[in-house]
Amino acid sequence: MLNNKEYLDKLYQSDKSIIIYKNDTGFEVYTDFSKKIIIDKKNIKNFLNIQSKEKSSRIDGLNCYIGFFGYKLLCENIGIKLPKQKTTNFYSGLFYKPKTKISIGKKIIIKSTKTNFRNIKTNTKKYSKLNKNFNLNLTLQQYSKLFDDFSKNIKQGKTYQIKIAQTYSKKGNINAIDLFWQLMQINESPESFLIRDKGYSIISCSPETLLLKKGDLIKTKPIAGTLRKTKKINHNKALAFFRRNEKETKEHNMIVDMERNDLSKICKTGSVKIDKLKKVEEYRDLFHYVTTIKGVLKNKITNHDIISSLMPGGSVIGCPKISTIQLLNQKEKSDRNIYTGSFGIIHSNGDMRFNIMIRTLLNFKNAIELSVASGVILGSTAKKEYNENYIKAKSLLDLFN
Amino acid sequence: MIYLIDHEDSFTYNLAHLLDSIEPTVVSNYYEINYKKLHKASTIVLSPGPGEPKDYPLTSEIYKKYKGKKKILGICLGFQHIVHSEGGKIVQQKNILHGYQSRIKIISDKSIFNKNSDLLGGRYHSLKLEEPFISKSMTITMRCTKTNVAMAIEDDINQVYGFQFHPDSFLTPNGKYLIKKIISR
Repeated sequence: MLNNKEYLDKLYQSDKSIIIYKNDTGFEVYTDFSKKIIIDKKNIKNFLNIQSKEKSSRIDGLNCYIGFFGYKLLCENIGIKLPKQKTTNFYSGLFYKPKTKISIGKKIIIKSTKTNFRNIKTNTKKYSKLNKNFNLNLTLQQYSKLFDDFSKNIKQGKTYQIKIAQTYSKKGNINAIDLFWQLMQINESPESFLIRDKGYSIISCSPETLLLKKGDLIKTKPIAGTLRKTKKINHNKALAFFRRNEKETKEHNMIVDMERNDLSKICKTGSVKIDKLKKVEEYRDLFHYVTTIKGVLKNKITNHDIISSLMPGGSVIGCPKISTIQLLNQKEKSDRNIYTGSFGIIHSNGDMRFNIMIRTLLNFKNAIELSVASGVILGSTAKKEYNENYIKAKSLLDLFN
Repeated sequence: MIYLIDHEDSFTYNLAHLLDSIEPTVVSNYYEINYKKLHKASTIVLSPGPGEPKDYPLTSEIYKKYKGKKKILGICLGFQHIVHSEGGKIVQQKNILHGYQSRIKIISDKSIFNKNSDLLGGRYHSLKLEEPFISKSMTITMRCTKTNVAMAIEDDINQVYGFQFHPDSFLTPNGKYLIKKIISR
């Protein structure tokens, strides 16, 4: 019989559907899915409040659903209709119920309710090498035009800050598992994940935790502020930069107040507190400016209430949320797809963890796409923000030769 | 009970928590105003929000209907609503301030707060009150120490108060004190 390590290797090499999610101590790998539920605006409430609460497994760690909500679904869920945009017709949202969970930490621990779960066939599919040439949907000139239009909107008070998304794309198919572990070697971010399923795969090195709910405690950890890493800049210098920099500071302040607001909608009066204000986190190519905010949920708040209050995550849209999404919808020509949606896990006891799907690459129908965004804020320039977007995409683009 | 009209802002619930910690508060979307509840409220609060006062005609109507009958407090766009309804003009300002912390000074002895003291306030506004602003009953009581832009108006006789800055922001350390003083008046 295969030992745990051999089993895991064979699982990676098979064509089985698999999800990998980073946690504090390592990674969780999920497979042998008994259910796969497509989520749309009609069933999202029922899924969150009823279906995800069913306790069907004798193993606690398997009483959960893992998956994602796309951006469009999250907008529709809060009553915002998106106009007709270019779309690839990818899933609006999709959740999986696992029968096998492999925890990779100091040891590999496997829990499964599937008999003979170790029996798997190796896949012989070959992947061709992909080069680094991606198409970018906005030229600097087009980006500058949008930047100017939105700057006007800010002057008129219609929005206080707005994030323009750009999409890198190319044809081809990736070996998701290989690329994911390569990515983890160079940029293991706290909200990294992979989904490999028939017909599509997603790999992500998302740094941003949108929500962490345990019992009646809830936390969010918005990121606003990015600094490109060079040899000369260490953690302390990055902190000094952010503190001095007016643009980064005010952008961050706004997101902190906005996330306090989103938590206040669902939390007990007076319970929303800033836990860690303006900390620097270090990644391979950049530093981020991060704040943690927490609160205590009001009685009778459902998981659907929580999702509706916090998603789509504010830090990747701008502020205020509703009017800014409406402005974005008038100008963004292609749909954001999974970008700025959320991936995560829902336990049957109601606990949840979700990220924001940024730094996330989707491979669907022989096309690879990756989106990034940065903020139009007065005092910045189109060129600077355009370049900031490239830094955000870099660690994923670097996976291609 | 306090009735808070939300102009679909992303800061309204920060304000709601502040208010609710002083007196029970009902929040209502601008598009779903419950006039029965509104009528029962002791205080009406006009929230911040995107755009300008004329985008929200119902709020101006409500202000005119209840001025002098109920206590009215306006924050940011709500402040602009009050001055707009009082004949003031709202214009774009040169330096647009979103997420800024400014030093604000109490400049009038008509203020319910101590004249000449100052405080820190968080600001999120593209527009401002054009001056001179002439009103029989209203006084500009606070200004930004740097730009001199009007930061508060008060009419203590009719119990109308407005802040251009955000007492609800984490950038305003004494925000609760300001709101409490008004609500308990």
